[in-house]
Amino acid sequence: MDKKLLEILVCPLCKGPLVYLKERAELVCKADRLAYPIRDDIPVMLEEEARQLGPDEEI
Amino acid sequence: MDTQAILRAYRRYARVYDLLFGAIFHPGREFIIRSLGARSGERILEVGVGTGLSLPLYPEHVKVTGIDISKHMLDIARKRVERMALQQVEGVMEMDAQNMSFRDSSFDKVVAMYVVSVVPDPIALIDEIRRVCKPGGDIYIVNHFRARNPLLAMAESLLSPISKLVGFRPDLDLDRFLEESGLDLVETHNVNLFGYWKLLRCRNREAVAFNPSEPAEQSP
Repeated sequence: MDKKLLEILVCPLCKGPLVYLKERAELVCKADRLAYPIRDDIPVMLEEEARQLGPDEEI
Repeated sequence: MDTQAILRAYRRYARVYDLLFGAIFHPGREFIIRSLGARSGERILEVGVGTGLSLPLYPEHVKVTGIDISKHMLDIARKRVERMALQQVEGVMEMDAQNMSFRDSSFDKVVAMYVVSVVPDPIALIDEIRRVCKPGGDIYIVNHFRARNPLLAMAESLLSPISKLVGFRPDLDLDRFLEESGLDLVETHNVNLFGYWKLLRCRNREAVAFNPSEPAEQSP
């Protein structure tokens, strides 16, 4: 995942910033508590494919 | 035409897409990318990048990002980028073109080839393209618009229901499209198939700001 690309990537729902979790291959929106998966180097920026963060999950 | 139907169509087509459509659409892709006149370091978005047929055509001094709704198409695009070591490609991503996950004004140029007629809501697509394109940036659209010839136009209207099966809407009217989308047309060219496909070069007059349909929770 290119750092420069991360500068322009936002959550598709709220257009807020994303946190890149390299080891989990996820892009996380803290506001919506959604983790967007990166599968085979392809970020999947779709709400229906995102993982809902657990209630205790801190990013 | 709903997104699921489009996805099903593309899953069917992904493997044979290059063979079926590559040759037909290639002259259009070459023409449009040649005419971009992109400056060094400019960031370009290709909406509906599909299997990435056009990615090798971009000059090496630009930064290209491609999005598509079909995972099956994007897998092929990603492999192409790897195999050809395309330095100009920043990434390919799975996104809904009507609801992209880019900041406002992220791109200097946006290219949308053969996509306007295959999304559920063409005007919503253009609004979203204008949002992620910088004000004053160029928007390139290659699409088919309804024939001006009344007989041809009638034939296309009759074919419209078939579009559900093949994932394509043939009866979009150019004037109405321009009016409703608020795009500033700079020039048009006919590309390939005897001008069936038109290239529209438009200027992004002003960026459209993100406007959530459901109001987001505001922090106090």
